[in-house]
Amino acid sequence: MVKLIGAVLILFSASMIGWQIGRNYAFRPVQLRALLVALQMLETEIVYGLTPLHRAFVKIGHRVPDEVGRLFLTAAELLITERAQTAEDALRQAIDAHWPQTALRRQERDVLSSLGQVLGSSDREDQQKHLRLAVTHLRGLEEEARAEQGRYEKMYKSLGFLCGLLVVILMF
Amino acid sequence: MVKEIMAILPASVRSILTALPSAVREHLEEIRLRQNQPMEIRYGQQSSYVTPSGQLTAIARQGWIFSEEQAVKLLNQVSQHSLYALEEELKRGYITVVGGHRIGIAGKVVMEKGEVKGIRDVTSFNIRIAREKKGAAHRVLPFLFENGRVHNTLIISPPQCGKTTLLRDIARSLSYGNEWASSRKVGIVDERSELAGCLNGVPQRDVGPRTDVLDACPKAVGMMMLIRSMSPDVLIVDEIGRTEDGEAVWEAIHAGVAVICTAHGADVSEVAQRPTLGRLIQYGAFSRYILLSRTNGVGTVEAVYDGSLTRVDREKIAWLS
Repeated sequence: MVKLIGAVLILFSASMIGWQIGRNYAFRPVQLRALLVALQMLETEIVYGLTPLHRAFVKIGHRVPDEVGRLFLTAAELLITERAQTAEDALRQAIDAHWPQTALRRQERDVLSSLGQVLGSSDREDQQKHLRLAVTHLRGLEEEARAEQGRYEKMYKSLGFLCGLLVVILMF
Repeated sequence: MVKEIMAILPASVRSILTALPSAVREHLEEIRLRQNQPMEIRYGQQSSYVTPSGQLTAIARQGWIFSEEQAVKLLNQVSQHSLYALEEELKRGYITVVGGHRIGIAGKVVMEKGEVKGIRDVTSFNIRIAREKKGAAHRVLPFLFENGRVHNTLIISPPQCGKTTLLRDIARSLSYGNEWASSRKVGIVDERSELAGCLNGVPQRDVGPRTDVLDACPKAVGMMMLIRSMSPDVLIVDEIGRTEDGEAVWEAIHAGVAVICTAHGADVSEVAQRPTLGRLIQYGAFSRYILLSRTNGVGTVEAVYDGSLTRVDREKIAWLS
């Protein structure tokens, strides 16, 4: 009886682990999409709205879902409370605080930080150029992420279950 | 010391200013910061360098040096980390901040197609502190009304005699209403953003509750726009001079709108020599002329004349000193 309960537990936790890993593959393209939307909104705010950076960040933060939105809200707060001296600093601190909660990877982080270095420090045309460049980069990464999702999401989910099953079979 | 200005200054500059003797701080007019040069302040009619401990000094090398890093920080603060939003301001060479204070800037100018595109590497800042002089118009107001009508008025003044201050206070008094007349709808065309000191279109100076401001708009176009869109009772314009300005004034007067405007000059006859204004004066566009000077301090009202150039006041009025 105890053995049976143990087997069920093992099967359950193994599937959960697999499911979790697979889910990360599903989340990355979704969050990348959110980041892309955020940067496109930022472009509109900067190029057409001439909105000051902290106000643009707040707007984006409210409209972009989940962790990516919260990242921009944090950056805005850092700027408003002057805990960050520059826009670059604010963005970096916000990234540090929120990145671990996202499914995003090193490459996305690099794109965003290098954008932070120029954000707000030049005229409109230049800002637009940098934002477009970042968007193009992220698009490429998004495609890659979607391909990976197709390849690995199901695989990890089934793999988790199958590994659990293997252990259970060996147990008996 | 003015809060709004303090908020945009880098911490180092802020702490020096707070250390200034309070008598100086109260009368601060300008803070001049130049990269790699000592900080200079102007107060009252004097100017002086400031040492790192907030003492006044006449010796340049004792002054606190404004570094490149500070310059970058200041520009960052002033632009709220958004230089792109200041394109127009960088083209004009000054930035208006909350409170109507104005920061003049100089540095490396960038040209495009023969026109100034903006200033890069801003190295000089002139922070001019705006102080409201309410009640400036009090003594001239009685001359501006007749039978409930507002006179078309030309304020004539040499530079720096308080012309703009007077005009702003007239606008405010008309808008709020005063003891000689009920409140009016006032339209201001503020080509140089000096009258209302707008920030994002919101006047930072008190120009009254019934006042509409067209900020940074060319005068002639702006006057026509306001007449069509806002139906003002009184139009307020600074520095009439070009031909199209004269035509716009003429149009406005015949559209039943009273116009109060200013012109540079020492007296009516001198102003009458100028082509546009001369014609307006000749055709009797104005029914009041206010002459300013600084004989009794900035903002002395030398005389008030009516349309036929007869003096209507009895004595000089000093309201700014």
